[in-house]
Amino acid sequence: MKLEETLQALYDHAVEFVIIGGAAMQLQGSARLTDDLDFCYARNRRNLERLAAALAPFHPRLRNAPEGLPFRFDAPTIERGMNFTLATDLGPLDFLGEVSGLGSYEAVLAASETMNILAMPSRVLSLPGLIKAKLAAGRAKDLEAVRELESLREGREKSGL
Amino acid sequence: MTSDQRKLLWEWFTNPPPGSKTAEARDWGIDLSLLYENLLLSPTERARKLEQGANSLLILRMAGDRHAAKQ
Repeated sequence: MKLEETLQALYDHAVEFVIIGGAAMQLQGSARLTDDLDFCYARNRRNLERLAAALAPFHPRLRNAPEGLPFRFDAPTIERGMNFTLATDLGPLDFLGEVSGLGSYEAVLAASETMNILAMPSRVLSLPGLIKAKLAAGRAKDLEAVRELESLREGREKSGL
Repeated sequence: MTSDQRKLLWEWFTNPPPGSKTAEARDWGIDLSLLYENLLLSPTERARKLEQGANSLLILRMAGDRHAAKQ
């Protein structure tokens, strides 16, 4: 995982995104490890073009797809799809157009907060947003994660963080 | 983070009140000391930790794959 380079590429191309999933959990204080980066991205045409341009130098391809399968991560492809699990030179990157329990990018953005990460102001899904998303996902591991997220939320509230 | 906030955080995670979600999490087996430590870090420090953890996972996974291939 190359977090700094990934954020820099997205930032340099002014991509509209929110960090979600396991990475957002860790940025909010979770002790759970994750090996990929998940983002929710805005679905407007300008953003699709920016996203495609930001990732182009890092050779995005579909993760776990058969070798040689034709794939081009450009704006029309992104527009036709919704959620992309990619292997890139920056590591595994997932781009979701919507998040269970929250909805579209606009709803995810509304449930996010700005964090200054590696000198880049970045939107990160908030603890209440993560809790909603995990409850909607509903798998055993998600429900277990909710316990941790609820503790973090309480700790932050009680200490005024 | 102020020293008062740090103290409140420490008290909350070392002795969560009965009935709180934090007490439930502790009883479930979640290590609250790790959460406390993480909340003391800045977002950038957490980002660095995230990156290091992910890369350690990758090394472990590759070692597991190599081991499985030898079996």
